[in-house]
Amino acid sequence: MPERAAPRDRYPYVLPVWLDRARPWVAVSLFGALPVYLVLLFWYGGSPKTTDVGYAPVQPVPFSHALHAGDLGLDCRYCHNTVEFAAAAAIPPTDTCMGCHAAIAPDSPKLAALRESYATGLPIRWVRVHDLPDYAYFDHSAHVRRGVGCAECHGPVDRMEVVYQWAPLSMGWCLGCHRDPEPHLRPPELATRMDWHPPSDPRESGAALRAALRIAPREDCSACHR
Amino acid sequence: MSPLKRERPAQWRSLGDREGRSELRIWREGEFPEGFFGGGGPDRREFLKLMGASLAMLGAARCRWPAEPIVPFAHRPEGYVPGAPKRYATAMELAGAATGLLVTSYDGRPIKIEGNPRHPYSLGGTSAWHQASLLGLYDPDRSRHPVQRAGQDESRASWEAAAAFLRGQFAQLAAREGRGLYVLAAASSSPTLGRLRARLLEQEPRAEWLEYEPFSHEDAEREGTRLACGQPLRVHPRFDRARVVLLLDADPWLAHPAAVRYIHDFSQARRGPAEARPRVWAVEAAHSLSGSLADHRLPLRPSELADFAVRLAAQLFLGLGLAPPAGFGEVRALEAWRGGGRADDLLGALARDLWSARGDALILAGPRVAPEIHALVYLLNHALGSAGRAVTYTEAPEPSRAAHAEAIRRLADRLEAGRVDTLLLLDVNPAFDAPADLEFARRLEKAKTAIHVGPYRDETARLCAWHLPLAHYLESWGDARAWDGTWSIVQPLIEPLWEGRTAAELLSLCVEQAPQRAYALVRETFRDAFGPGAVEDGWRQALHEGLVEGTAWREVMLPVARGEWWDAAFAQAGASAARREGWELVFCLDAKVYDGRFANNAWLQELPDPMTKLTWDNALLLAPRDAQRLGVTDGDLVRVQAAERALELPALVLPGQAPGSASVALGYGRRAAGAVGGGVGAEVQTLRPADGRLVAEVRLERTGARRELACTQDHWTMDRLGAAERELRARRFARQVELRDFLADPHRAVRGEGEFHPVALWREHTYPGHRWAMAIDLDACVGCGACVVACQAENNVPVVGKREVLRGHEMHWIRVDRYFSGDPEAPSVHHQPVTCHHCENAPCESVCPVAATVHDSEGLNVMVYNRCIGTRYCSNNCPYKVRRFNWFHYTKKTGHLEAMVFNPEVTVRSRGVMEKCTFCVQRIQSARIAARREGRELRDGDVVPACAQACPAQAIVFGDLNDPGSRVRAAFDDARAYALLEEQNVRPRLRYLARLLHRTGRRAEG
Repeated sequence: MPERAAPRDRYPYVLPVWLDRARPWVAVSLFGALPVYLVLLFWYGGSPKTTDVGYAPVQPVPFSHALHAGDLGLDCRYCHNTVEFAAAAAIPPTDTCMGCHAAIAPDSPKLAALRESYATGLPIRWVRVHDLPDYAYFDHSAHVRRGVGCAECHGPVDRMEVVYQWAPLSMGWCLGCHRDPEPHLRPPELATRMDWHPPSDPRESGAALRAALRIAPREDCSACHR
Repeated sequence: MSPLKRERPAQWRSLGDREGRSELRIWREGEFPEGFFGGGGPDRREFLKLMGASLAMLGAARCRWPAEPIVPFAHRPEGYVPGAPKRYATAMELAGAATGLLVTSYDGRPIKIEGNPRHPYSLGGTSAWHQASLLGLYDPDRSRHPVQRAGQDESRASWEAAAAFLRGQFAQLAAREGRGLYVLAAASSSPTLGRLRARLLEQEPRAEWLEYEPFSHEDAEREGTRLACGQPLRVHPRFDRARVVLLLDADPWLAHPAAVRYIHDFSQARRGPAEARPRVWAVEAAHSLSGSLADHRLPLRPSELADFAVRLAAQLFLGLGLAPPAGFGEVRALEAWRGGGRADDLLGALARDLWSARGDALILAGPRVAPEIHALVYLLNHALGSAGRAVTYTEAPEPSRAAHAEAIRRLADRLEAGRVDTLLLLDVNPAFDAPADLEFARRLEKAKTAIHVGPYRDETARLCAWHLPLAHYLESWGDARAWDGTWSIVQPLIEPLWEGRTAAELLSLCVEQAPQRAYALVRETFRDAFGPGAVEDGWRQALHEGLVEGTAWREVMLPVARGEWWDAAFAQAGASAARREGWELVFCLDAKVYDGRFANNAWLQELPDPMTKLTWDNALLLAPRDAQRLGVTDGDLVRVQAAERALELPALVLPGQAPGSASVALGYGRRAAGAVGGGVGAEVQTLRPADGRLVAEVRLERTGARRELACTQDHWTMDRLGAAERELRARRFARQVELRDFLADPHRAVRGEGEFHPVALWREHTYPGHRWAMAIDLDACVGCGACVVACQAENNVPVVGKREVLRGHEMHWIRVDRYFSGDPEAPSVHHQPVTCHHCENAPCESVCPVAATVHDSEGLNVMVYNRCIGTRYCSNNCPYKVRRFNWFHYTKKTGHLEAMVFNPEVTVRSRGVMEKCTFCVQRIQSARIAARREGRELRDGDVVPACAQACPAQAIVFGDLNDPGSRVRAAFDDARAYALLEEQNVRPRLRYLARLLHRTGRRAEG
């Protein structure tokens, strides 16, 4: 058992004075900065901008939009052919791919999954990139036919080697456009053009289009939720 | 009158309400009569446990939801748009009559059934049975594969084995010309089945084919017309032409295979000019839905009906000098029946009314009425000149077949005598629904080989050597004829989910050298009927339309022949006049489970009965005075003693039941219905007499025990201030006015003296775009409940079960309130569908702390489920009591199969959120988007909510109030229009059109 120390030695280690002075700052950070930090952490950390934008899952077939939509200049509707008259812009059936790939690069090892699907009739299981919550009801046709281009939500798909989520697709983001659609409008017939630029000030041309097409985006809950 | 002194209300929902019974006050005063945690609320420990668990979940939750695969077709069919709903025409056969339907299919799975507007027996409408048949498709209890039974051993068998057995068996039978082969088949009008049946009888000439329905709509009618004119006929009441209708124990607007069409015709006729407005008289024992629509109704015991009918004939022929039809001879025998009798004054007025509407007067007798009286009705219709006009006749299909009651009796005798070698049971369940005295289950064991073909492994299937699964009609190719003979095509919406096959396929297996699949069989029948030339175009046209035009049977007019029935009718009447003692028990077709075939359908089980508002049960319905006499009230068990058997049934008091009689619904007490319907209600077949009649003489006796009845009639009571206050303020919910008063001063008749000048509390909102609104015509509405099930199917409304209904937790977004008024023994009845009123000054919105219920720019009161935190303040503040709370996660245990029925356009709600009618906002949105795609504005009629679509009466109109040409605008401006609880100034977007009563002068006060 060690000897009880002398009074002088009873505090063998004395906290430095600066620490004493820092005590209020600890309190400030605990009660002031920590909540702010936590709020910011959850605000930005939990925001779709952080969690969803840039989401680029690996797909079963390494399909390159940059090659097909960009370099080759295929129109979006060549594959996503229901986009103008249905809620969903359907992922094309294997047949669509094989329309060309029966002749072009027919033996490419990258297309093994495609050929297998074509032969067996079993579908390819793509991974959904743009995944809205099930209680949000989005309709592609309502947007594409009314002058909202594909790129407004999907970004520069023609330059994407692997498709990723470009926009947050959050409710606030949707409403931003619904409240102020003008800068996002273009002539409906050019909806799929990835290289389209507004001829003049986007707000001006958008205003003209809005008047011509009688665009009145709804901000009601019932517009998207049922 | 002091507001505190409680007067009897003018309108009441139940007798308890009328008498102000204290236990019902909970439904008026508290929105939620029982707490979630059994009344006491959660204790602290429970709360902390739950909170702790949810915090742990928060930590464990990932930031991103699981990756979702997209699985496109490898080879997409041409023209197919993934995720876009498609509609196909098909038809559903019920009791041998087809109703044309349009079924919406979503990515290959049917999700909604609607009426086919081009089909003469739908005209766009449907019944609750049609609507709910969709749920039957996804019923996990449906039979999935053939089963072979040897003694107690049951084993799964393959169709190959079954086919080999059947072909062997039928070849053997054919060798002895089919002696010992009996087929008991459900009523079917399928031409293909008819063709194969003929084939079978050709190969097996000594076989016997018997058609059987436990509740036969036709037995009495066929026999009656055969007596009257020598040939069985099918009777077609023309409610669109009749000006005076007398229903003799008939329920054409609910319990009839053609009810959808009849409701349509009747409602259209009531919309016509006031002078031509039909007046309905009903004489019946059970208070049927049709009786509740009558302008005059006389409750009469079934045994008194013959007496009534003969006295009516006497009054008409002798009192008013109506001439009997040429060649019929004199009717002096009626002299003894003139005057006197129980209902002399009503009889006189009725006879005068029928007489003055000669040619347009229609008398219709129901299935419980004796054949002789049917014959008398035939005579009266002819004498009144109505035959061919207000009522038409066609030859009955298969005139030589035995009556249904006779068929089952004959088969039971043959079984007893050991003469049945092979018994094929086609879609019937006699072990459950044959009258108990026949002891069918016991006798079935005497058949050497019994083969059951049906959708379920039901009571009968379990006793048979073979059970073969029958495909659902949404999985089948087939054909059927509507009530008038219109050739209808049954088109499948989906491949059979399991190994079910159609009845035609099965017969083809038995009798054809090269068995064919249903499609080929149906096509062959079609070619035989319409010629090879018509096949391609005609077939495609028929598939598209769902029917073949111009294939209805030809009307026939056969003169009335005098026969033995003439004296037999008097004998009937004499016997009935003599009998005054004992109780008479009336068996009714159930408005929900039919004869028991829909017992496993939860939508139907939970649908409140149109008259009693009873769910998940059947009960002994008694007149108020009789209940008092027996000393019973709702839920008290009564011992019902028939000739040899007894049964205990819970009593339920139904005002309007004929004193001295009780009625009870068939179809309950199933032992092997499945998970939903097994053991629900009481098996009243055991009380049915062996001769198949639908009336029994019984003794009733109170037992002292009780059984809770899940009856919704006092739930969701709108007025919290009590019934006395309600009357003081002359507030009337389901308004009805005398036609005479209405013609004199429409405004005053509908809205009374009081005029409300409400003061606005809020700034007025403006709705420059659309202003959606609904109008419900109470004059057209018959209260059938099709809208309730249609809404349930469209909006993924959960089923909660009997225990939850008892606690007032049923979830229906639209309910049909039923009020009585007047004398409890002979009340008048009002049906009123109530759904969310989408008030412009919505009281629910101002109390929601989280803005979970808000208005949209078109005036819809929308419910944002994700914001809702479940305070239930909104429901508390809703004057119409239309909000429904998810007390539990009702859909949690929904399997993959059952989940296929969900409408993908509507969110499936979770626990703890409020929900309510949305005016089918998903339909508004898709109509809007479709219109925009076509580059046009929405037109009136583009948006049809599910309830309005299903309504056979077309009583519900929906549209845009800002459109001056819309039907809903016209309805709002109609003189009959009124708003419910108008004085509260909530400005509802739902208005009712008051019902008009068309009583004769003398009885107008009644």
